[in-house]
Amino acid sequence: MSSLARAAFSSFRVSTRLRVVSPYAYLNWLVFPLLFAAVGLYVLSRPGAPASHLTYGLLGGGLIGFWSITYLDGGNGIQDERWNGTLEQIFAVPTPLWVILLGKIAGSLLFGITAFIPTVAFAYFGFHALLPHIDAPRFAISLGVLSFSFLAIAITLTPLFALWRWAFQMLNGFELGVYVLCGFMFPVAIIAPWAQGIAGGLAPTWATRALYAATTTSGPHDYVAWWLAAIALSLGYMVCAVFLYRLVERHARISGDLALA
Amino acid sequence: MNRVLDEAAVFARSTFLQYKALFQWATVRGYVAYKVLLPVTQILFFVELGVYATGPKNALYFALGNAMQLTANAGIFGVIATVANERQFGTLPILLGSPANRLVTFLSRAIVNVIDGIATVVIGLVVSVVLFGLDLQHGNLLLLGLCVLIISLTTAGLGLMFGSIGLVMRDAIIIANVVYYLLLILCGINFPVSRLPGALQVLSYSLPLTRGVQAARDAAGGASLQQVAGLLAGELAVGLVWAFGGYMLFRLLEGYARRGGLQEAF
Repeated sequence: MSSLARAAFSSFRVSTRLRVVSPYAYLNWLVFPLLFAAVGLYVLSRPGAPASHLTYGLLGGGLIGFWSITYLDGGNGIQDERWNGTLEQIFAVPTPLWVILLGKIAGSLLFGITAFIPTVAFAYFGFHALLPHIDAPRFAISLGVLSFSFLAIAITLTPLFALWRWAFQMLNGFELGVYVLCGFMFPVAIIAPWAQGIAGGLAPTWATRALYAATTTSGPHDYVAWWLAAIALSLGYMVCAVFLYRLVERHARISGDLALA
Repeated sequence: MNRVLDEAAVFARSTFLQYKALFQWATVRGYVAYKVLLPVTQILFFVELGVYATGPKNALYFALGNAMQLTANAGIFGVIATVANERQFGTLPILLGSPANRLVTFLSRAIVNVIDGIATVVIGLVVSVVLFGLDLQHGNLLLLGLCVLIISLTTAGLGLMFGSIGLVMRDAIIIANVVYYLLLILCGINFPVSRLPGALQVLSYSLPLTRGVQAARDAAGGASLQQVAGLLAGELAVGLVWAFGGYMLFRLLEGYARRGGLQEAF
């Protein structure tokens, strides 16, 4: 067990060191969140706008940065190895693949969650925006549940992106659609009912709902139901991921064509 | 006369080869992802954001603004990628070593992307009509078409400027991402330019799109050519200045890249 933890930590350390020297990481961590926060705050912070609007502008940029890092950086855990020419070595080592990927994805999530720092600072210094009310314990739990749902998604996307490259293209093109469906910058309740149905199948939607509910006293506060929905959906993604990882193993070890996929 | 014909042939050949080799969305999946899904979701996101902030009455303001801004998808990403991809494919040294007229080579990089930019806006407008009921019945459609053409040209002008940086920079596509999304803030796409701080308003009016989007909104409202002529002339002038600046930068950085061997750095 300790050897697995050591391997995961090494993977975390190496991937973090690579990340901090990558300009693309800063694009997703700093530039995108700030740009979206700026648009969001300009649109949402009109004179007389309710405080809840400002909260969406304030936290929305950070959520977008967190998500971008999760699916781009975390989701490309195997793809990066392929591009770096280290895919075969990763599969040849005795450490299970999931341990190496867990370390890498944990590094991505840790990096991603700090995307809130520049956006909240920008909101404060640029728009004098502060969170009006915060239920700290529930906010913290909601953020933890959101992080878990992102972890599950990154773990699921990693084999998906490795097996079918077009899956990354499609998700990359659909990135702003995810912002809509997960309610990162406005409530999901305002979108079309059929789209709300799709949004209900996404774990981050429920966690984001709980996160925003913890910043206001108005509206329903069914935290437990929302957290459980997010966790159950995340576990469901992980079950799917098990089958995808088996497929990756088969392509890597039996047919040997993963590096060519 | 022969010289002009020769240059025209180089221009046509270069444009064709740009499309064949460097148009990065030339696959069905790539085109669907970045030229259909991205525009649709961009419009959806900003319209919903606008509706949440200001009410449903303003949906068309956001829909039209973002539909016009989609020209930058081709004009900025596409044009910058033509240089960035030359580097990635290892053909940049060959390009810089060729005796072809630089101005012709430079301008030919924009043509396919201008056409593609117009196609993307058409997709954006169709989405706006179908999903948000954008009513163009009383709009001046010919004038709106002219606005789209001019905006596509001017954003490509800006793309040429930043594409030149790809001669000396390895990750020029990062610049494309930053510029594309900065235009959403600076050009009056989702909120009036007057809400920006004074210095940023000056920057805003020195960029493509700002006047063009205003003219397109007026055209959609039924304005005549005379009413928006000033805006369109200003938009064209701004685009020309950026394209000319881009050409000068291209020549400057070409020499710099050659001396430092930077065109092969990857």
